[in-house]
Amino acid sequence: MGHLSGERLYEVFARQKREDRLEHIGTVSAPNAELARVYAWKTYDEATWFEMVVAPRDAFRAVNRDEVPFTLHPAEAP
Amino acid sequence: MTPARATGYKSADELPADAREALAATLLSLADNKRILGMRYGEWILGAPTLEAGIACSAMAQDEWGHGRILYATLKDFGTDPGPLEHERESDAYLSSELLDAPVEEWPEFLTLNLLFDAALSVQVEALTSSRYEPILFKTRKLLEEERFHFEHGRGWAMRLAETAAGRNALNTAFRKALGPCLRWFGRDDAPFGRALVEAGIADGAGDALRERWVARIAPVLREANLGVLGEELESGLELDWSSWSAGRRRSGEGGPHPETLARIRGDRNRSMLMD
Repeated sequence: MGHLSGERLYEVFARQKREDRLEHIGTVSAPNAELARVYAWKTYDEATWFEMVVAPRDAFRAVNRDEVPFTLHPAEAP
Repeated sequence: MTPARATGYKSADELPADAREALAATLLSLADNKRILGMRYGEWILGAPTLEAGIACSAMAQDEWGHGRILYATLKDFGTDPGPLEHERESDAYLSSELLDAPVEEWPEFLTLNLLFDAALSVQVEALTSSRYEPILFKTRKLLEEERFHFEHGRGWAMRLAETAAGRNALNTAFRKALGPCLRWFGRDDAPFGRALVEAGIADGAGDALRERWVARIAPVLREANLGVLGEELESGLELDWSSWSAGRRRSGEGGPHPETLARIRGDRNRSMLMD
């Protein structure tokens, strides 16, 4: 996937109820955290979320594997 | 807030006549501006710089049309049928800002609507959140929740464009042109219109008070986007040209939204097939 310069991938997590676990629901590409928040909220609006958070994909650190890129999507794995 | 609600107005009939007229005009102005702003957002579903920005424009367009619909419906309480308001008026009857008359061609101009003008509308809505006119209270909360994201979208993009000199210059030019219309939109400070709303406890500010709230919201974003000079000019008070100002329509200049814009908003071409 091509990206504009300055764009980063952000992973989106959300839960519908306080007692739910945060689940990974998708990804957005954004140039800054402000836009990542807006894009996440406006793109993944299929539910009434109790909580949604975003984090840049490159903030994640692999624990048991050495190889990068780290991916949260099994389908994206090589 | 509780004492105000305890003595609140449950319907438009209970309002003092001048406040009733001023509130109906304020609600219609908000509805018209949001309807056309929604159209301008919708025009960027295709052509926005990124797919995500296009999705955001689509969502913001839906939000604005939803807000417009809710606001037009509030006018029923004032004895006005929303149907003709939405479908039968011509351009010169719209109470919409001159900023919305034509489609915007460039992304920095789009951001003047998204960051500057949409925030002006929100400042006006916020002034009604502790209103003694109770029917409006339940409408404003969700509307303003959605608007938070519109503002963040505009702010995020202003910061992004400001990363390059070319982007910063383009923003500076576009914003400079839009500041006057946005500042004027709150009306003259001595307008009877605004006074009536404040005196009846319908709005908690008008004129200069709302202008100051808008400046306090926008100037920090201009600084974040390395447009500090513009922010300082804004804070020190820009000279406003009121020469062609129409208080009744809350705009400068004759005219209104372009006919093509209105025909598309009203759905004229396809609606005609369904009419008797």
